[in-house]
Amino acid sequence: MRPIERDLLRFKEIVRGEVKKRAREFLTREELFGQVEGRLVSIPLPQLELPKIVYGEPLGEGLGLGGPGTESLGPGGHVPVAELELEEFLDLMGEALRLPRLRPKGEGEVTEEAFRYTTIARKGPRGLRHVRRTLKESLKRALITGEYRPEEPLLVPEREDLRYKAPKAKPRPHAQAVVLFALDVSGSMREEELRLVKTLSFWITLWIKRHFPRLERRYLLHDAEAWEVSEEEFFRAREGGGTRLSSALLLAEEILKPYPEAFYNRYLYHFSDGENWQGDTPQALEALRRLLPTLALYGYAQVEGPYGQGRFLEDLKEALGKEEGLAATEVRGKEDLPLALRRLLGG
Amino acid sequence: MRKELRRWAERLRERALAEGLSFPPVLFEEVGPEEMAMLAAYGGFPRRYPHWRFGSEYLRYRETYRYGLGRIYELVVNTHPVRAYLLEGNTLLAQKLVMAHVYAHADFFQNNLAFKPIPKDMHEEMAHHAAFVEKAMERHGARSVEEFLDLALSLENLIDPQALYIQRKEDASPEERPPGRLRVRPYLDPYVNPPPEPPKEAEEGASPTPLPPRPTRDILGFLARHAPLAPWQKGILEIIREESLYYVPQAATKILNEGWATYWHTRLLLPLLSPQEALEFAELQAGLLAPHGFNPYRLGYLLLKEVEDRWDKGRFGPEYKALPLGERLTYERPTGEGLKKLFQVRTIHTDLGFLDSFLTPEFALRQRLISPEDLPRFAEAKKALLFRLTNGGYPIVELVDANYGNRGELLLEHAYEGVELDLRKTKAVLENLHRLWGRPVHLRTVVEGKEALLSAGG
Repeated sequence: MRPIERDLLRFKEIVRGEVKKRAREFLTREELFGQVEGRLVSIPLPQLELPKIVYGEPLGEGLGLGGPGTESLGPGGHVPVAELELEEFLDLMGEALRLPRLRPKGEGEVTEEAFRYTTIARKGPRGLRHVRRTLKESLKRALITGEYRPEEPLLVPEREDLRYKAPKAKPRPHAQAVVLFALDVSGSMREEELRLVKTLSFWITLWIKRHFPRLERRYLLHDAEAWEVSEEEFFRAREGGGTRLSSALLLAEEILKPYPEAFYNRYLYHFSDGENWQGDTPQALEALRRLLPTLALYGYAQVEGPYGQGRFLEDLKEALGKEEGLAATEVRGKEDLPLALRRLLGG
Repeated sequence: MRKELRRWAERLRERALAEGLSFPPVLFEEVGPEEMAMLAAYGGFPRRYPHWRFGSEYLRYRETYRYGLGRIYELVVNTHPVRAYLLEGNTLLAQKLVMAHVYAHADFFQNNLAFKPIPKDMHEEMAHHAAFVEKAMERHGARSVEEFLDLALSLENLIDPQALYIQRKEDASPEERPPGRLRVRPYLDPYVNPPPEPPKEAEEGASPTPLPPRPTRDILGFLARHAPLAPWQKGILEIIREESLYYVPQAATKILNEGWATYWHTRLLLPLLSPQEALEFAELQAGLLAPHGFNPYRLGYLLLKEVEDRWDKGRFGPEYKALPLGERLTYERPTGEGLKKLFQVRTIHTDLGFLDSFLTPEFALRQRLISPEDLPRFAEAKKALLFRLTNGGYPIVELVDANYGNRGELLLEHAYEGVELDLRKTKAVLENLHRLWGRPVHLRTVVEGKEALLSAGG
């Protein structure tokens, strides 16, 4: 190995170590959220900076020469920034937070197309010319026209004889998933709780996507009634009336209909403070009994608001605690996030 | 190397020599972008000690190139012979330009006084350093050596830029060296010439010579000799110090050196260009001399042209200086001494002296570095620029006392010149110093306008 590769590997190793060490911090870093949508995650690593005694303010520029340009060899250096592939970053986070791997339930629907050079075409680039097929065509033509003499088998391909390898789209089975987020907006969810919900749903989405590249997302809000919203609307704080958790579950059933369980790994996440209307809980549980076997996971996160929390979590555990595919947890604050995330992903 | 390039290298070499440049043999080599990135990360040398910082730099250069944000056309290393790397895939004209540029750098390395004490076999030195550190890693564990390197590198600028010149004087008089000491590479010194036992604490108080005898800026050197460290750790401090000193003249002459090389590639190449090439040359030149940001190529080149022009026209001396600004701009007393003056400037100046001597209000006005309204603030602006070039832009810090308060603590002093230190980073460095020295460490400086004593471990 060349020495520079050794140094590069060591640098990457340090970066990985840093990411894992700071996983809890990255978890709540909202400025990361946007970045992660792209391909590379840029991580400033101030603690990797080799500090030096330097001036605290940029030195006087003087004479309209502008700030130090890229040529500057001057002091300070730069804060090392590591760019990681999103996949690598997620895997490191997953490792650090001990997030469970998700297993696709079925083969999934036929979706992705992979190109293979399996057919033959009459036109194409020189590099893809298929010599044997071309000669075969040439031979055919020579035989038909009677030009071919076995004692002197000379084949001169003409334009019409030329054959090329051509790509053909080949369908490939691909596991796919759908995730539906439901949020209870009945009054007690405030800015702070909403931030927890946002953080959780962000990482849940990424983690599911890590396992199912074809992931569809849907969102719904509810108080006593439920309605579907866009992603942006979902994260806007608002207050509503009373709570009927069953309304969300019934609407979820509707929304998930176009995603048959045979072809989709269906995830449903429900965030609420757990203060359900009296009398609604049996209905909600009944709806869940129906839904649960069709889902990869039903994640219920009970977020503690300023007025304490309700008892749906308890009721849920009591009624369905033994069912597979139920992932219920409570979140009281930031410090609960790592564990809550693990639980909600079935870990 | 391609035959055509080799022919041009020869042709340009002959022209350069005929015009008065003088330089050791120059070895050109074409390298791909990845190798160029590696060499740049390693400061020009293919072999350096193992450290992740090089990996980080390598990645940065490589990505910068990959995303088309910048390319390194050339890299030249001050050794004998001079080694110069050209980026593969550049046009022939670009390579010609770069080669002419490199010959001028080689001339600068050989003739500029700041480079006089620099060893010319740095390839070998760097390889020795690498071997030393690798060996230490084998013996003491890669992680603990790396940790120590991190520590030592944070002190990399705590050197005396003059140290090499001072050392040279000592070298000249071997009788001044204490008897029984063998001359070896500095980082091997703690092995070959172990230091005498430190004085007992009781004696220390009575010791007539303070430590250090005079305040010193060579803090790395002092620690390498006196800190309670294992020999391999002292060796590493010496290595960091030596490598740091090697790069001092390069940083101190960036503007002059790049200006000189630009002046010469223009002068050597321009008469040889075909009309088509002239257009490409103009494009390259415009990129190189672009006026955005602080561009050492531009400033150095324009100022050298100014000096040449002034000395050609006799615009110097007491008679000229006595004239008011307006008359200076048209004064003429043809002497044709421009080129001679340039060679003198190349020999004796670093950036600081170069700008101090020749950056005049006339020049600043002509090159629009300053607007006529701001002319009264010229002196102030110039001072700010010179301050930035002083000590490579680093604060000047001296070690004043290694037995501060008679408790074996270190006292450092920042020569405050009106600009305060970065407190966070400075404190981190003091922590590192404390870990090295094993006793509390203090730094006298100014914080928020008031004298302050920053301490670590106290």
